[in-house]
Amino acid sequence: MIDRDTAMRPFRGVGGFFAMSLDTFVLMFKPPFAWREFLIQSWFVARVSLLPTLMLSIPFTVLLVFTFNILLIEFGAADYSGTGAAYGTVTQLGPVVTVLVIAGAGATAMCADLGARTIREELDALRVMGIDPIQVLVVPRVLAATFVAVLLSSVVILVGIAGGFFFSVFVQHVTPGAFAGGMTIITGLADVVISLIKAGLFGLAAGLIACYKGISVQGGPAGVGNAVNETVVFTFVALFAINILASAVGVEATL
Amino acid sequence: MTQIVIRSRFPRVYRMLRRWSDRWVQLGVQTQFFAETLASMGEVFRRYRTELLRLIAQMGLGAGALAVIGGTVVIVGFLTLTTGALVAVQGYNQFSQVGVEALTGFASAYFNVRLIAPLTAGIGLAATIGAGATAQLGAMRINEEIDALEVMGIRSVAYLASTRVISGIIVVIPLYCVAVLMSFFAARFGTTYVYGQSTGVYDHYFNTFLSPTDLIWSFFLAVTMAVVIMLVHTYYGFTASGGPAGVGEAVGRAVRTSLVASALAVLLVSLAIYGQSGNFNLSG
Repeated sequence: MIDRDTAMRPFRGVGGFFAMSLDTFVLMFKPPFAWREFLIQSWFVARVSLLPTLMLSIPFTVLLVFTFNILLIEFGAADYSGTGAAYGTVTQLGPVVTVLVIAGAGATAMCADLGARTIREELDALRVMGIDPIQVLVVPRVLAATFVAVLLSSVVILVGIAGGFFFSVFVQHVTPGAFAGGMTIITGLADVVISLIKAGLFGLAAGLIACYKGISVQGGPAGVGNAVNETVVFTFVALFAINILASAVGVEATL
Repeated sequence: MTQIVIRSRFPRVYRMLRRWSDRWVQLGVQTQFFAETLASMGEVFRRYRTELLRLIAQMGLGAGALAVIGGTVVIVGFLTLTTGALVAVQGYNQFSQVGVEALTGFASAYFNVRLIAPLTAGIGLAATIGAGATAQLGAMRINEEIDALEVMGIRSVAYLASTRVISGIIVVIPLYCVAVLMSFFAARFGTTYVYGQSTGVYDHYFNTFLSPTDLIWSFFLAVTMAVVIMLVHTYYGFTASGGPAGVGEAVGRAVRTSLVASALAVLLVSLAIYGQSGNFNLSG
């Protein structure tokens, strides 16, 4: 039989997470803002994420374009492959790939870093000195993850469309002009803006989850490992949940 | 002697070459580890059957806080549920723009099987059982438990890595069943209940275009991904270093690498399976 403490743990975790998020949002607008930490973290997240982003966005788009072109070639509408590539990349793959990398590369490193500090009781030391760890550590990290996610998603979209272009034109023999011409048929400015907003939301969620898991670590190296593992799982789950909601809203807004 | 002269004469060139060769050495060590893991699989069935069963049970249910919210099955099922619902949201709305919303059932049978379910399941696997394996092995490495195993005469690669790869392959099959069913269910539910298409139309196009061969290949894709993901994750766990933060960093690196590796594997395998023509017949 599960005792009461174990049964209540998930709820306590959710409550703690919302409490920390609320603190973060309040302290975000309260001076002094930790600019230095923000810049260092942004640079760090961008540095660890850039290469994996490029490596991940190319196979994903090529796979999408490949599957989609099979269909279009069968219909005799291969000229529209640019339309499918642009739509799929901008609305889905761009934000999703970005956050997979932000979660896999940036959030895990943040969680590991904060977790190690928690275990070494550095956060308690900060509190003793009258410094709020949320303000100096969590706020800049969450903002850095959001900021870099927005920037990276545009890179993903560009690289993805370029990859799709090369694959369609040189492997599946689509006319290059038709590919380029078809890109803007159903993908407009609104889709791009929604895609960037989505990427920002994902980055925010990933940053918050990573920081919460990091500052609530318990129990040695195995605890840090588990916290990082849970960060990855919860970020991915949150990402997919946000994605479906944001897509439904986005579709309503653009059509 | 010459080495010392070169090093002091051209320090920067030397350092660059050194970094370059270190990377190659690391790649070689990694390949060697993968080969050893795959080669010791027979050993697992001869000696470490109990450990294998324990790991299968653990991977299916998940460990720690993950078990409380339902474990690997629930997480992978939830991920594919949301991506399947995307077919309904994006597919139905885009198709209805050109007046062919009847084809949403076809989109579910085609895109879910070939693209969405394998990729999403791969992401789910990497996040749950993959990252879990790295965290466990990394903590063992930091606590010097792996060295203790070696001292006791237990083959650590076979006992820790090969067992995890095999149990990954075994666990992925029922998991992938759940994943595919969930994505079909979500697409059907979204299209028929939320957007109000008649179930008859949806089912007709869905059943017409659902190809059993594609489904079997899709399972093959999932198993390929499971092997790649488990190999990458056990390697990074096995070679973790640098205290508690090192374990976390190893998990991050492993997730990054395995996402890229499994996406590439899916791409290459699907190109090999479906070929350039796509192996797809609209007219039946």
